[in-house]
Amino acid sequence: MNAVELLGEVIEISHSNLEINSRISAILNIIAHRMGFEEVLVFKLDKDKRITCRYSNQGCSLFSLLSKYRCRIGEGIIGSIAQKRIPQYFTYKDIPPRFGCIFFHELDGIIDRYRSFAFVPLSDDSYIYGVMVAISSEKGDLQDREKILLSVIAREIGGLIRVDEIMLSSKKRISELVTLSELGKVLTTNMEPEAALKNIVFIIAKALNATMATIKLNNFVSRFNIQRFTYGQSDPKLERFIEDLEGQAINAKRTTTLSEELYVDDEDISHYSLCSSPIITKNKAIGAMTICSSKKHITFDQNDNIAYLITTIANYISSGLENILLNTRLKDVIKELNETQKRVIEQEKLKSLGEMTANIAHEIKNPLVIIGGFTKRLAKKVNLSQTENRYANIIVNEVARLETILNEVLNYVKDTPISREPCNINMCIDEILYLFSSDASWEKVKIVKDYDTQLPQIICDIQQIKQVFINILVNSYEAMKGEGEITIKTGTAHINNKPYIKVAISDTGGGIDPMAIDNIFNPFFTTKEKGTGLGLAISNKIIMNNKGRIEVENNVGKGVTFFIYLPLENNL
Amino acid sequence: MKDKKILIVDDEENIRILFKEELEEEGYEIDVASDGYEALEKIKKSPFDLVVLDIKMPGMDGIQTLNEIKKINKDQHVILCSAYGEFKQDFSSWISDAYVVKSADTGELKNTIKNILNLT
Repeated sequence: MNAVELLGEVIEISHSNLEINSRISAILNIIAHRMGFEEVLVFKLDKDKRITCRYSNQGCSLFSLLSKYRCRIGEGIIGSIAQKRIPQYFTYKDIPPRFGCIFFHELDGIIDRYRSFAFVPLSDDSYIYGVMVAISSEKGDLQDREKILLSVIAREIGGLIRVDEIMLSSKKRISELVTLSELGKVLTTNMEPEAALKNIVFIIAKALNATMATIKLNNFVSRFNIQRFTYGQSDPKLERFIEDLEGQAINAKRTTTLSEELYVDDEDISHYSLCSSPIITKNKAIGAMTICSSKKHITFDQNDNIAYLITTIANYISSGLENILLNTRLKDVIKELNETQKRVIEQEKLKSLGEMTANIAHEIKNPLVIIGGFTKRLAKKVNLSQTENRYANIIVNEVARLETILNEVLNYVKDTPISREPCNINMCIDEILYLFSSDASWEKVKIVKDYDTQLPQIICDIQQIKQVFINILVNSYEAMKGEGEITIKTGTAHINNKPYIKVAISDTGGGIDPMAIDNIFNPFFTTKEKGTGLGLAISNKIIMNNKGRIEVENNVGKGVTFFIYLPLENNL
Repeated sequence: MKDKKILIVDDEENIRILFKEELEEEGYEIDVASDGYEALEKIKKSPFDLVVLDIKMPGMDGIQTLNEIKKINKDQHVILCSAYGEFKQDFSSWISDAYVVKSADTGELKNTIKNILNLT
């Protein structure tokens, strides 16, 4: 046997790009053939500090016996080699029965076939990876060169295992980094929080190969209708365990795990492993993230790497989630600000328009009075024919119409003081409806009342508010051409967390032309033949003066619903 | 009715003519003034049963004139007459006997005058 040639072959194999298992097996075959050992085995030291027989040469007969039991460090010859990291050699004369480990009882009677045993540690200067065992039925005492050769090869195999472990762990690290970067992408987008959370559980479940991933948020993380976001199928039998574990994680503010054998339908045994990690921002647990695995080979342990990764992810999404929540709140505030700004601009526009209108109206009024007044005098003084008299009447009537319009305009423009009275809106509407019910032209209008009988009183200017309801009801009546159904619903509502009374008035008048909808509250905008375009403008002004708001919902082809909100706590 | 003297104060000449003719037909004796100063001069010279006072006038406006009139004679009957009712809220206007919104239809003005002069 040429040692140099043999080592050359070993190194060639060890540096090839074969899979690790094939490389080790091939090296063991070389030892068997070239050095004359029938049985060559490699025991590997696992993470749980147990030593397992993992590799052997071809034709090895002891592998099936020895791989049944996993030794501990220090247990038997193999365990003690792993502990002391010094090779040991035996002959049939001094080999301890069962290799010093009572669990290898199947060795009884078999050991006698062999004459020489070598136990060599797979180690480098700092770490032990396992133990190589070489057994021969031919040799007696091993020669020194054989011992050295075995040691060198064992060291090479140890190196192989080491490189493999480093590669595996770096692969894992890379995939963890990929997961974190994907989460980072989700957390830094402008996604709605709901969508972001759904993406997060999806990424986590995929990355950890879990059956299910779920994030539960505490109630006080408001704005969410949903409190739980889940990916994967959730076993109803597990819900209780998950909730318990989440509670523990949130209370203790640390990652907790649970592995359970669940008996389902008496016979089926399912294995579940759960890991729950609190989501903490500003030292406050706002929820928990829980991973569930039903695969036997993926279990979570408080101290293992997966639990560590889950904790890292939970910490990572905590800050991101906080940002997302902040962003949403910011968006809401900006939206509110924009709306307020729009309203203020609108009001300013109306105010300057109002001042201008008032001046014009004023200047027109005097000439109008003069035209109308003298036309009347003319008709009285001169003996007019029937036709001429009609002409004079037309002038007088048109002047009267102009005066009415001017009065309405002035009415809209001027700042009417607001009186403050307690008001029951249901009763207020009923009084108006009573007026209409005595009007024959309202006969074909069906009024449906849907009142909240517990409606609280509000403080407002009753006469002005009545004017608003009358304006809207008359509009509905005209839109329905005097025939249809008007539904009046009262209740309470919240806008920006402030309590309001809400009145909804719906008609079946076919709705408003979508082109016109944006203008309906503008003064002088009208779609009616004889309208002044001030009804809704005045209504809007009154409601705004009473610190409320008026909104419209348009169902083209069906009808219109006006929503009137009046504040419950009114500081006019 | 013949003996009731009314002073019409308005800066708009045609309004003065219209009201003068309309009220003369009702049988009143009418004098006119085109601003507050002229009105005060005339009131100082000879008494009126009633003053119909426009509010928006250049120089001294109707409300100021009203105050001056009341200084001369606190029992002087005055009707404020303006294009719109916007001064109804101005409480200086409350010391007048009535407030009438100007209109081509002079019916309201005539009725108010009758009421104040107890002619109904």
